[in-house]
Amino acid sequence: MAAETPVSSSAAPKRARRSMKTSKAVLIADKVADWTIRIGGLGVIAAVFGIMAFLAMVVVPLFTGASIDKAAVSDHAVTGGRPLMDVIDEYKTVSVSIDDTGKVNAFHITSGAVLDVATFDFGGKTLTAFARTLNGRDIAFGFADGTLRLATVKIGGAVINTSDAPADLKKLSDTDSTDGKAIYTAVSADQTRRVSIEVELAAEQQVAPAGTAIVAADYRMGGAAERPTISFVTIDAAGVGRLSRSESKSNMMTGVTTTSVTSSELPGLPHGVKVRNVLMTDKADQVYVIDAGGTVYRYDTREFDAPVLAETIDLLPDATTVGAVGFLIGEQSLVVSGSDGSVDVYFRLQAAGATTTDGYVMTRAHMLAPHTAPVVAMDASQRGKMFITADAKGEIWLRHSTSEQVLLRLKPNDTPSYRAIALAPRENSVLAVTEEGKVYTWDISAPHPESTLNTIFGKVWYEGYPEPGFTWQSSSGTDAFEPKFSLVPLIFGTIKATFYSLLFAIPIALGAAIYTSEFVHHRVRAVVKPTMELMASLPSVVLGFIAALILAPIVETWIAAIFFAFIVIPAGLFTAAYLWQLLPNPIALRYGGLPKFALIFAALGIFGYAAFLFGPVFESLFFAGDLKAWANGDVGSSVPFTAMIAFPFVFLALHLASDTLVTTHLGFILRGEDRTRAGLTDAVRWVMTLIAAGVVSYALAVALVAFGLDPRGGVVDTYVQRNTLVVGFAMGFAVIPIIYTIAEDALNTVPEHLRAASLACGATPWQTAISVIVPTAMSGIFSAIMVGMGRAVGETMIVVMAAGNTPVMEWNVFNGLRALSANIAVELSEAVRDSTLYRMLFLAALSLFVITFIVNTLAEVVRQRFRKRTAQL
Amino acid sequence: MMSAITQTIATPTEAVPMSRTTIRRTDLRARGEPALWSLGGALALGVIMIIGFLVLVFANGIVTFIPKPLAVVTETDGTVTAGEPFRSELYKPSPEIIASLSPEWRERVKAENGYVSRTLYRTGNFDIYGEDFRWVPAFQAAKIEHPKNLSFFERMEWGPFVGTVKSFKVGGAEQAFTSLSDPKFIQVHDESRARAEEIRAIERGKIGHINHELETERLDLRKVELEHGRNSAEYKAAQDRLTARAAELQVDYDKFSAEVQKLREMNAGNTLTLAEVGGREKTIEFSALVRAYAANDLSLLQTLGVYFSRWGEFLADEPREANTEGGVFPAIFGTFAMTLLMVIVVAPFGIITALYLREYAKQGKLVSFVRISVNNLAGVPSIVYGVFGLGFFAYVLGGSIDALFYPERLPNPTFGTGGLMWASLTLALLTVPVVIVATEEALAAVPRSMREGSLACGASKWQTIRYIVLPRAMPGILTGVILAMARGAGEVAPLMLVGVVKLAPELPVDGLFPFVHLERSFMHLGFHIFDVGFQSRNAEAGKPMVFVTTVLLIALVTFVNATAIIVRNRLKKKFAGSQF
Repeated sequence: MAAETPVSSSAAPKRARRSMKTSKAVLIADKVADWTIRIGGLGVIAAVFGIMAFLAMVVVPLFTGASIDKAAVSDHAVTGGRPLMDVIDEYKTVSVSIDDTGKVNAFHITSGAVLDVATFDFGGKTLTAFARTLNGRDIAFGFADGTLRLATVKIGGAVINTSDAPADLKKLSDTDSTDGKAIYTAVSADQTRRVSIEVELAAEQQVAPAGTAIVAADYRMGGAAERPTISFVTIDAAGVGRLSRSESKSNMMTGVTTTSVTSSELPGLPHGVKVRNVLMTDKADQVYVIDAGGTVYRYDTREFDAPVLAETIDLLPDATTVGAVGFLIGEQSLVVSGSDGSVDVYFRLQAAGATTTDGYVMTRAHMLAPHTAPVVAMDASQRGKMFITADAKGEIWLRHSTSEQVLLRLKPNDTPSYRAIALAPRENSVLAVTEEGKVYTWDISAPHPESTLNTIFGKVWYEGYPEPGFTWQSSSGTDAFEPKFSLVPLIFGTIKATFYSLLFAIPIALGAAIYTSEFVHHRVRAVVKPTMELMASLPSVVLGFIAALILAPIVETWIAAIFFAFIVIPAGLFTAAYLWQLLPNPIALRYGGLPKFALIFAALGIFGYAAFLFGPVFESLFFAGDLKAWANGDVGSSVPFTAMIAFPFVFLALHLASDTLVTTHLGFILRGEDRTRAGLTDAVRWVMTLIAAGVVSYALAVALVAFGLDPRGGVVDTYVQRNTLVVGFAMGFAVIPIIYTIAEDALNTVPEHLRAASLACGATPWQTAISVIVPTAMSGIFSAIMVGMGRAVGETMIVVMAAGNTPVMEWNVFNGLRALSANIAVELSEAVRDSTLYRMLFLAALSLFVITFIVNTLAEVVRQRFRKRTAQL
Repeated sequence: MMSAITQTIATPTEAVPMSRTTIRRTDLRARGEPALWSLGGALALGVIMIIGFLVLVFANGIVTFIPKPLAVVTETDGTVTAGEPFRSELYKPSPEIIASLSPEWRERVKAENGYVSRTLYRTGNFDIYGEDFRWVPAFQAAKIEHPKNLSFFERMEWGPFVGTVKSFKVGGAEQAFTSLSDPKFIQVHDESRARAEEIRAIERGKIGHINHELETERLDLRKVELEHGRNSAEYKAAQDRLTARAAELQVDYDKFSAEVQKLREMNAGNTLTLAEVGGREKTIEFSALVRAYAANDLSLLQTLGVYFSRWGEFLADEPREANTEGGVFPAIFGTFAMTLLMVIVVAPFGIITALYLREYAKQGKLVSFVRISVNNLAGVPSIVYGVFGLGFFAYVLGGSIDALFYPERLPNPTFGTGGLMWASLTLALLTVPVVIVATEEALAAVPRSMREGSLACGASKWQTIRYIVLPRAMPGILTGVILAMARGAGEVAPLMLVGVVKLAPELPVDGLFPFVHLERSFMHLGFHIFDVGFQSRNAEAGKPMVFVTTVLLIALVTFVNATAIIVRNRLKKKFAGSQF
């Protein structure tokens, strides 16, 4: 090779003098290489660091709240009486508002062009009450003469072929045009969306006695398509509440529709109550009557013919009157605002010891930031828990109930007094109509209103939950479902899996590393080390499969035997060791190498088998014969198990105590005698300590249990097949070789002269290992553990397959868990791009990245220090 | 314990004056024998675990394809079950069941601490029974027989059939059935299977080609529409072209489908009527029969024949029955293709980066920070790379590529979703730290003196790297690359996000232009294990398949790892002489 090395020999020497000039080709090659390598190298480094930047970039919008894209005011659009409500269509094309004269004002939002729409003809009656559903499609009018009329406002958005659209359209914007009645929006080259408004007013019904005005009403549609029911509640000027249900039956044979109305009176409303509002839930099973002072009369109307006053509660302080009230989507959360500017969200929750008739209590779940002026209007989103509130000073706040944040504060330059405000169905626009008919519009974007640092990492009170908590639930079947994104259960799952797997892996890996490095022949080491390293190269999907499909059923069947093995195997190894000490010195020395290692294998096998054989006996002694029932808390007492947990610690304490207390004396005896007798003495001492430890730990356990400390419900509880124990085993299996290899390397790089010096001073190999080698290599061992931990934190396939993936937060070994990594693997492929879930999963990935990066950097820094230290030794 | 040690080290001085005649012995506790045994126990446990694991996987994987005898079990309640004994285990029957047992069985259960053995029979015949496995507890099996004529039929659909041949028809005519090894029977079977293969070849190849061409034409038309608009002359011309071409292709299509129809009809005449143990019959076409053997009447040679033919099918065929049967060829191909692509990307970039860090960059705090970071990236969870791959490669890069080059296919993504290319790039990113670290170490091991010698002789920097440094660092570099391959081949979690699917019969390489389809999803051995083990209808039925796939994957990864070691040793030897 060396002979080929061209040394600028391109220009062959023509005469005796060689050309000293370097050939162009060499120079060019050099430059090219120079640049390629620099650019390539820097590029790769940048790319690798770009990962973090990219992940962060995707995550950031979660926390940016909302923004105003455009704000506009127009003052020519709405004319007529006092506006009652305003709705925006799905595509943000038109706004439809209704006033108290029955006039329907519809106009194109961007241009303000007014559309020609039919009006509701009230027949000259005075409107005294008004009600609407959340989407604004169904409305009800109550009149001064005690009649009620239902109505619908349909905003249709049909896609038609462009060729079918009317010819002479007036252009309103780039895409929109109108024929005066509907808006035509070009969707694509040959398709057009036609947005039109249809209104319909039903016949009047006499609900209250003639002449008594209806002051509040609400109604809900229900029943099946062929038998529609309309449930409505009305309050009249006399303070009488009526609950009615009309049911339409259509006769299949004759086609005649008959409508029957049943009616009942709401009991218990105080005489002369000034009702501000009445609300009815979706299934018409609850009615809320709210008076001007903020007192809510909640009726249980599941028995529609016999409504019960379930609860009376005053939600507002004295001298405060009610502002706007309304449900959020799902009609479980009630927003109540007051003249003091307060905006609170109430849940109807089942409470133990509730004094209400149905066991539910209205509970204030969220206190939102208050306005500085009385709240005059609100509107809720049709797809989430967002809503808007307007105050008397003319500010409109965009809020999110669950995250309790105010996303936007919309402040016009003047102080308009709003009559009706609307949040567009796609949450992308806010529109407000003032008393004078002025229209304010804001184009907004609030893509992730539900996420704040607090909702992701703190306790959040979700609808239907008895208290704030950490919940991860990203999807469900129903529309009104609110996704719950708390990373805490997932982080907890990761920590739990890591903790239990390291609990299993660290003793084995470090023990094996110390033994390999210090106590076996180098030829044994040459076989054992690569074997253990082979474990590291096993794909984790294989480990996961074996853990979930083979190991999990075995562990489930033999759970008692496995627990027993944790006791029997260490105890057995100790027994074998004490027996070995009985051997005369020459024999012990002669067979101290490989034969002893073989004996250790044998001991492991024998005692492992013993654990299997006597597992059932152990189960009946410690767990009342059925570990799973015991763990569930059905049978047995926790004393034996507590004693079992306490035993190793008690034993260690007693052992150390006996060592220090009787050291000199014992050392004197042990050294004085020959090996067998010394061994016997030592063994006897050990057995005595064991017995003592047993007695003490049992006593301790009795005391602890009497004191109320029960491991059941904590570290052990109901058994699930795919549980943390199995994950611990499998992940331990993945982590052991990593910790083992790095720790063994660290132990091995401790300079030989330290070892030699220690041994030359008369220390035994054990003393050398434990007091010279291990302390020197400690930082290397620490970094081994950190690297192992990094792997356990990020391990995916094993947890996906073996952990059951339930996002619970308990330390129970017998239950599953859902780790960050597994959660990403399971949910990311289903997540819509740029949705909140998508970004949340990116946040999970970023957290994993940062955690492992920190852990690994720590390990690396420690390792480098260790290297420096050993180099100095 | 530490205090005990310091004490014992200190004691000999006190002990000396005790007696001159006593042999000085060490305190036994200083030997730490019990602790030593626990350390040794830990090592032994580790070794036992790894060996046990490999034995478990390989033993299960290797015996999977051995034809097992079929048993007919008559149960105490008169139920007759025929099937392969799948596995046995001890279980705890509920107290009610134990109470209903005969006294002697009750005694036996009691003697076994409430445990009793049960056997899982693979009964097959899913289309008749609605299940294909059945547990029979030992106390319920009254009689177990192994009839010689009972056979095991592997079918294309509905899983295996356990039963006997009632009769068979060739071309609609009834034939006398003697045995499964009847040459006539075999011949009919072979012919039918060959025809079925032909049908598949025509459908996949020729008809697939036609569909592909039609699709291409349609996309061309859409492209013209996007470029020139719907009312342009170009569009009209393209539309006419498409119509003409479609008519031509229709002719071809009709020809091929007639051919297929003919073959189908021929196959329809060759049927086989099977009867299960209870006498219920099922007629299937010969072409739907993969393999049949009389399980209890096999010679050693026949056993081996079945065994190897199953291996052949496994390695060379496509999966059937939701991946629980058939072969894994697409997965093997996908794994190889992805790993290869990954290496093509990761090797040059990894080496260039290492060269930059070691040979070009100014060594200082910044470079050592970069070095530590690169090192740490090897420890970042693979799933994080998967997330990045999906978000950046597939959605951002792929989305842009689609918008630029494939607007006619939108909104259907071409590169804008997971695929072979993105999977390879993701894994390349995942493994690039491995290559960088290995290469850097190898470069650092080249003695400085050699570089200086080369430069002193007048060689340029690049020449020195090219002719002096790189050759000597090659063993280390190659090891790094191969280790990266091993890591890449065994990784599953990130692939689940960037392009691996459970079934992708279309390989990323085929005879249709442009021959290599980097945008296609692919199958992967590791994901196959996850999918069959966890997402198939019957985890029990898939288990043997998973074991075999596992064996294959472990063998592949171990093979790659072993290659790394061998290559390293070879090259080390080669350069050993030239070191100075």
